[in-house]
Amino acid sequence: MSERGAQMNKITDARYESFRKNLEAVNGTCVRAARKKIGEAVAGIFQEAGVKDACLPETPLFQETGVKEALEAAGIQVYTDHIRLHAETARGGISEAQYGIAELGTLVQCRDSADERIAATMSEVYVGVVPGSEIVETYDDMFDLLSGLDPIPNFVGFITGPSRTADIECVSTVGVHGPIQLFAVVVDDA
Amino acid sequence: MASEDLKQEIQQALDNATLSRTLGTFCRTYPAKREKSYEGVDFPAVRDKIKEVKSFAADHVDELIEEFTRNCEARGGHVIHARSTEEAMEFIRKLVKEKEIKSIVKSKSMASEELHFNKVLGDDGVLVQETDLGEFIIALEGNTPVHMVMPALHLNKEEVADLFTEYTKEKNEPIIAEEVKTARKVMRDRFIHADMGVSGANVAVAETGTVFTMTNEGNGRMVGTLPKTHLYIFGIEKLVKSFSDARHIFKALPRNGTGQRITAYISMYTGACEVVSDKEADLKEKKEFYVVILDDPGRREILAEPDFRQIFDCIRCGACLDVCPAFALVGGHVYGSKVYTGGIGTLLSHFLVSKERAEQIQNICLQCGRCKEVCGGGLQISDMIMKLREKSMAEHPNAVKKFALDAVTDRKLFHSMLRIASVAQGPFTKGQPMIRHLPLFLSGLTNGRSFPQIAQTPFRDIFPTIRQDVPNPKGTIALFAGCLLDFVYPDLARDVIADLNSIGWLVDFPMGQACCGCPASNLGDRENALREAEINIEAMEAEKYAYIVSACPSCTHQLRQYPDFFEKGTEMYARAKELADKTFDFCKLFYDLGGAAETGDDKPMKVTYHDSCHLCRSLGVTCEQRELLQKTPGVELVEMEEHDNCCGFGGAYSVLYPEIAKPILENKVKHIQETGADVVAVDCPGCMMQIRGGLDAQGIEGVEVKHTAEIIAEKRGLV
Repeated sequence: MSERGAQMNKITDARYESFRKNLEAVNGTCVRAARKKIGEAVAGIFQEAGVKDACLPETPLFQETGVKEALEAAGIQVYTDHIRLHAETARGGISEAQYGIAELGTLVQCRDSADERIAATMSEVYVGVVPGSEIVETYDDMFDLLSGLDPIPNFVGFITGPSRTADIECVSTVGVHGPIQLFAVVVDDA
Repeated sequence: MASEDLKQEIQQALDNATLSRTLGTFCRTYPAKREKSYEGVDFPAVRDKIKEVKSFAADHVDELIEEFTRNCEARGGHVIHARSTEEAMEFIRKLVKEKEIKSIVKSKSMASEELHFNKVLGDDGVLVQETDLGEFIIALEGNTPVHMVMPALHLNKEEVADLFTEYTKEKNEPIIAEEVKTARKVMRDRFIHADMGVSGANVAVAETGTVFTMTNEGNGRMVGTLPKTHLYIFGIEKLVKSFSDARHIFKALPRNGTGQRITAYISMYTGACEVVSDKEADLKEKKEFYVVILDDPGRREILAEPDFRQIFDCIRCGACLDVCPAFALVGGHVYGSKVYTGGIGTLLSHFLVSKERAEQIQNICLQCGRCKEVCGGGLQISDMIMKLREKSMAEHPNAVKKFALDAVTDRKLFHSMLRIASVAQGPFTKGQPMIRHLPLFLSGLTNGRSFPQIAQTPFRDIFPTIRQDVPNPKGTIALFAGCLLDFVYPDLARDVIADLNSIGWLVDFPMGQACCGCPASNLGDRENALREAEINIEAMEAEKYAYIVSACPSCTHQLRQYPDFFEKGTEMYARAKELADKTFDFCKLFYDLGGAAETGDDKPMKVTYHDSCHLCRSLGVTCEQRELLQKTPGVELVEMEEHDNCCGFGGAYSVLYPEIAKPILENKVKHIQETGADVVAVDCPGCMMQIRGGLDAQGIEGVEVKHTAEIIAEKRGLV
């Protein structure tokens, strides 16, 4: 976790609102949850979307907060290994995003984990969990932050809403090769 | 001249109903969408930063290639610096063979198209799959992209459904959401089983060895996440120095490309990242990561040519296509290149694809200059196209064009031809003020509009009879009439003089003046343009006058270009400079000399204003004429939609491509009618001729087209 995270700057309501509004403008959905309620929030999203199975690459945060258990308690089949194999059939995917950009509603993946990238890319319904304290205000803030990383991780990815296309008759359509629905869970005290 | 084949392709494009509907709608809504996406972002500042980081890269390209290679390899990548498309493709074929690759998934890479990647590997028996939806559709159709960003705009959902039905052997309904689902299903299987992913880069950062790819559909992420081997292909122009530099490009790219503030995905790969190499055993390792940097002679030629070096700054956003009035009608196929289309495509095709094709298509440009306003890299696209015409004309002089222009430059011959025309046209005007049918090669001029008759007495013969009553004149201004005022609209020249007299200035008409040279320049004939510049510098004797006034913005623009024809430090350069510095377009000069006044007959006149391309974009005059009109008692000014869109005249353009000019004009007439104005005010006699002709050809009555100078003279009772 970066220095910013260690300081635990709780996200302000204004910044959260900006993040939410901008994500919704690109067909994403945003919820806010306390650290211990992450599992509950994700389970609620999946239940509403009718998702019965999901890939969950484990992380210390997910383990500490019992995300897997919460999903299983909600009757969802959870895969924490062989993600590449299970992602071919599982409809749901969950992964951590390291940062967010409020003015765009963007989630930022900033580490080299194949499983996390697979969960975020192959799922139909994707949930990105982002610490509120790591949501920066602007795109420029994010580039300043990334430019200062030494070394830069092998993979950095900006994700802004579900996948989309306008390739047929210029009609904007959501859900092509990547997720059809995208949810961000902004963790208040992380 | 346009070849017959090209003419046919243009006609086919114009006849494609889907293309004209989707492309027309897209291009019409694009400017507002783009503008909205820039809310809170200072576009000119972003563009200048892009220009700065890209020109730095152009100046240091060899170092950046070396630095990128070092840094990418330090993180586990393999970089191949290919000096030709053949060398690049040879390496790729070897790699594919060595790794025993049977199937490839690709996200968009324009450089790979320059290599004929799909064809070469397809012939080798490798399954190559384009995964971008639009690219997939046109691959099924066996066609090339109609637009750089939206390749399948020419097909409707019914045609797409048929292609999908044929491919999947299952019935596909013509419902877009369902078609997108089919693409997802088909492609998912390909992603899962592919041995290799191929990506194009939007940006490559030397300092970190990072490559960036922007996509909306998520295919770019799939290509970079699933296969064990990942190959990037991009040209040297994608390099920038630092990670931070890349930010500027991604500020403009989505906004300019599709009017989005950001695309769904921007992925940044630095060297080899982790991949699942065996899904059954859940084995993970570093992927095989290869980068081919294309550094072919065409790219080096761009860097070596001072007039074209700025092409390197292009970020491939496609904005120049989206605002181009000609592109909006014909789409990308007529540009002939399988890769690049539109204004920038004309230039890139010349250097990277085919010089022959570029030579034909460079004339599709109207020279309206809208592309320059939106270009993400600040490229002077239309100016470079003009340079390209000059280059072609110098290399292969076109006999027909050249003859016509030689005649225009030979002042006496041209003037006597026009005088003969004024007599000879009798049978064709049928006593009407408009000619509906012209003989022979001029017939192109009458397609969709009428052509005015040549004046019985040219202005040069009228001028000596004009009495100028100016007590205590403030000074003398020389009038540069240009061909249209001299031979077609001499009354307008009279109005200009009356207007300037009314605010205390005398006007002189130097008799030796000839054509300004704009038509020659437009057709790439630098030799004749230079001769005309010399004639006019001698004739106008700018040293003797306070100002030079022209009531034709194309002439004003051309006169202001004269210094470029001469070497700095020479006497001709100094004279050209003095002429250029003193030359103003009528409305600008009249306004600056205090001409705006609340005087007029107060009779109601509903006016809409059409901005001429040269006046609003080259000369930057948009407010002065509006204030002159609005201050006039009785005048009500209403803006029309797309008021600064070209009318389709474009000098000789409407003769070369009447089939493109015609719908552009029809659109203009439609917007004029929507305002309910009685008068269309213009400041360019070319636009005046074009729009009057359009109104006449469509039989529209009750709408007059008048020059600002004419309205002022009329409302103030000066003539």
